[in-house]
Amino acid sequence: MERRQNPQQQRNPRRNPPPPSSSSHSSNHRSRYRPPNRAGGDARAHHRGDSYLDSRDAAAGDQPRSVVRPMPLHASEAATRSSIGGHDQDREDERDCRELASVVGTCPHMCPVGEMAQRERLRDLAVFERLHGNPAKTSPKLAVKKFCRTISTKHGQSSDIRPFSVLGSTLDYLMSLMNSAAEPFETVHDFIFDRTRSIRQDLSMQNIVDKRVIHMYEKMVNFHVISHHKLRLRSSGPDSFNISSLHHLNMEQLAKVLTSLYNLYDLNRDHNSVVHKNEPEYRSLYVLLCLNSESLPEGERLSLWFRRVPSPVIKSKEMSFARRILRYFRMGNYSRFFSTIAAEASYLQYCALEPYIDKVRALAVLCINNGGYKLHPYPMAHLSNLLMMEESEVESFCNACGLETSLDEQGNKVLPTKQPAFNHPKAGYGEYGFSGLENICRTL
Amino acid sequence: MAAYLSMGEAHRRITDYLGRFSDAVSSQDVASLKHILSLSSNSASLLSLADALNLLQDANRLIKQSDRFSQFAEIVAPLFRCIQNYRLGNLVDAYPAYEKAANAFIQEFRNWDSAWALEALYVIAYEIRVLAERADRELSANGKSPEKLKAAGSFLMKVFGVLAGKGPKRVGALYVTCQLFKVYFKLGTVHLCRSVIRSIETARIFDFEEFPQRDKVTYMYYTGRLEVYNENFTAADQKLSYALAHCNPHSEANIRMILKYLIPVKLSIGILPTDWLLEKYNLVEYRNIVQALKRGDLRLLRSALEAHEDRFLRSGVYLVLEKLELQVYQRLLKKIYIIQKQKDPSKAHQMKLEVIIKALRWLGIDMDLDEVECIVAILIHKNLVKGYFAHKSKVVVLSKQDPFPKLMGKPVNA
Repeated sequence: MERRQNPQQQRNPRRNPPPPSSSSHSSNHRSRYRPPNRAGGDARAHHRGDSYLDSRDAAAGDQPRSVVRPMPLHASEAATRSSIGGHDQDREDERDCRELASVVGTCPHMCPVGEMAQRERLRDLAVFERLHGNPAKTSPKLAVKKFCRTISTKHGQSSDIRPFSVLGSTLDYLMSLMNSAAEPFETVHDFIFDRTRSIRQDLSMQNIVDKRVIHMYEKMVNFHVISHHKLRLRSSGPDSFNISSLHHLNMEQLAKVLTSLYNLYDLNRDHNSVVHKNEPEYRSLYVLLCLNSESLPEGERLSLWFRRVPSPVIKSKEMSFARRILRYFRMGNYSRFFSTIAAEASYLQYCALEPYIDKVRALAVLCINNGGYKLHPYPMAHLSNLLMMEESEVESFCNACGLETSLDEQGNKVLPTKQPAFNHPKAGYGEYGFSGLENICRTL
Repeated sequence: MAAYLSMGEAHRRITDYLGRFSDAVSSQDVASLKHILSLSSNSASLLSLADALNLLQDANRLIKQSDRFSQFAEIVAPLFRCIQNYRLGNLVDAYPAYEKAANAFIQEFRNWDSAWALEALYVIAYEIRVLAERADRELSANGKSPEKLKAAGSFLMKVFGVLAGKGPKRVGALYVTCQLFKVYFKLGTVHLCRSVIRSIETARIFDFEEFPQRDKVTYMYYTGRLEVYNENFTAADQKLSYALAHCNPHSEANIRMILKYLIPVKLSIGILPTDWLLEKYNLVEYRNIVQALKRGDLRLLRSALEAHEDRFLRSGVYLVLEKLELQVYQRLLKKIYIIQKQKDPSKAHQMKLEVIIKALRWLGIDMDLDEVECIVAILIHKNLVKGYFAHKSKVVVLSKQDPFPKLMGKPVNA
C-alpha cells in the first residue's frame, strides 16, 4: 500500500500514533541538508537534540534553508522515535526503515539464511553462535541476526526480516542467555545488546506498534537495567575502562528503549485511560535512573517529565516509591533512603537506583563526620545498619572516604568524628553490597 | 443566516481583497496588511470573503486577471485556500495552505529592505502557531497523528533565520523566539529552546536592549521558567523578577503567570509573599505552604503539597516546593529553641532529640531517633543549623551565636 500518496488516510485505530510528546527532531533535521555520506560517527554529537539553527548561522544571516516537506509520519515511526537519546545513526536508520512501505517479514529463523552463510564464510560468529565452538560453523538454533547500521530499501527483503512470532521467540532465547555463566558478563551483554537492537529494527520495519510489542520492550528494558547493575559490578579491574564505556553505551540505549516503551504505552492506551499492567513500574524506572536529574543522556528534567505522566501512574505504588526515594535523595534523608529501598524496592528498581546508593552513603558519612560530637565517635555497627552495609564493608567505605576508624574501650569499632580529611570515594563502582539485596532479588 | 450571495458580489469581494492586499504592500501600510493576514481575528470581512471564495471556487482566475494581483499569486492563492478551509472548519487542511502562503510571504519579505512589514510578520508567526495547535486538536480528535505544531516549529525557525541578520529586521527575532518557546513548551520538547536561546544571547548581531519591551518580558518569563526547572534559583529569580518588573501592571493574567513560578523561587531563597499578594492574583494554592514555612508546620506543608499535587506537577514546581521541607524543619527547631529559651535560657542551646520527636508527633508525624538524627545532621551540613549532635546522648547542641542562619536570598546549599 502506497502510504506516500495519501497522507490523510484514516489509520487503523490500533496504530494510532502517540500525542506530540514524542520527539520533534525529525522535522527539524529533515529540513537540514544531509550530506550523502552518513556513515560513521555523528559530527553533530554535541548538538544533540538542537534544532539546526545555532548562533553561527544566526550571525551569518543565512539564506533560509529550503524546507523539505516532511513525509507524512507513520504511526510506528512516531512511536519508536525517542525524545531522549542522541541524534545518531541508529535513529536515522530506524526512521529510514519506516519511510519504506511496511514489510511483512517471512524469515522463519532467528537469523536469515543468507546472513548465516555469509558470516560462516567470514568467520564472523559470536561465541554463542558457534556450533561446538567452531568459529566457522553455526546453526539455525544458534545464529541470531545482527544489527545492521546501513539498512536501505534495496536490501530490505521480506525474507530477511523476521515476523513477530519469530522475534518473540528470538527475544526469549536471548533473555535466557543472560544468566549464562560460561562467558564473562561483558561478552553476554555485548551479544544481547546487539541482537536485541536488531530485533527492534525488524519490529520498526514492519511497523508493529500494538500491545503485543509492549511486553517485548519491557523485557529489553529489563536487560538494560540489569546490565546497568551487573556492568557496574565488573568495572573495577583491568578491563574497567572498556566496561565503563559499555556502561555508558548501555545507559544511552536504555534511555532510548525506555522512551520507545513509554510511547507504546501512550499509543495503546484505551480511552478510559487505564494504564498498562506494568506501566507504573517501568515509568518509575525513569525517576530512579535520574535521581540527580543529570544522568539520562539528553533526557528531560524530571520537573518537565512529570508533567506528562498520566495521573493513574502518578498515584501508583511504584511511582509513589520512586517519588519518595527522589525526595529522600534530594533532601539528603539517608535514613529513610536506605530503609525504604530495603522495604519496598523491586529488583529492577534497585538496579536502576544502585549508582546513587554509594553517593548517599558518602553523604551520610560526610554529615556524621562533620556534625558529630568529637567525644562521641559513631558506632560502626549502627552505621552499618543505617547504610545497609556489612560492617566490614562500612569500614572499608569510610577508609575510601579518607576517614579512619578505631576501637572504643569495649573493643567495638567506631568512627571518630570531626576528622578533617573527608573526600568522596573515587569512582565507587559496585564494590559495596546492599544488606537487603537477597530479599529484593526474590521479587524478580 | 447567510444572505443570498450573487456571483457578482462574490467577484467583487475577492477583487476588493486582492486590491487591499496589493495596495497595502505598495504603500507599505502594515496596519492593513496585518488585518488581511489575521485569520484568528474572525473578522466579518474575512468571513464574508470566505463565503465568496467558497462560492466562486476558482479565485485563481481572478488573481491572474491583473498584474497588480498576479505578482502576489504565490502568497494569495494558498491564502485563499486556507481561508476557504478555515471557514469550513477544516483546520487540518487550512494549516498547510497558510504555511505555504506564509512561506511565499517571507520570500517577499526578505526582499524588502526596510522592516516596515515586521508587524505583519508577527501576525503570521502567531497565526502559524495557533492554526497548527487547532489543526493538531482536530487530528487528535480524529485519532490521527498530531504533527502540525511540530511543522510550525520548523517553519518558525526558518522565520527566525530570515530575521537573524544585520539589518533593522532583527528586532523581530525575539517575538519569533517567544512563539517558538510557546510551541516547544506545548509539544514538551523544551530542550529545543536551547539553540534559540543561544542565538539570542550570544550572537553578536543581537542587542537584547533593542528588542521591544513586550517581547523582552515574554522572553524572560520563559527563560525564567527554564531556570526553575533546572533549579538555578538565582538566575530564575533574576529573570522572573525582570519579567514582573517590566510587565504591564494592568495585565493581571500575565502577572499571575509570572508569580506562579516566581513564588516557589522566592520561597526557596527564604522570601515569603504576603497574603495580600496571593489573594490579589488568585494564587491561594501557595497560601498553606507559606503558612507552613512561617510556623515550621511540616504536616501543613505535606498536606498542602498533596492537596495541589496535580497542579504543582503540571506546572513543574512540585519538586521545588518539596525541597522547602528543610526550611520547615529549621523553623520547627527554632521554635523549640525559643520555647526552651523562655523556660531556661542557660540550657536552651541543648535540644534533646526526643523533644523534636515529640514535637513532630504532635504534628502527626512519626519519626524515629535515627531519622531525627539524620535530619539534624543534614540541617547542620546545609548550614541551616549551626551546632553539632552527640550520638550517645541523643542531643543536638546548638551554637550559642546565630544557631539558625537565615538564607539571605541564597538558596539552601545543594
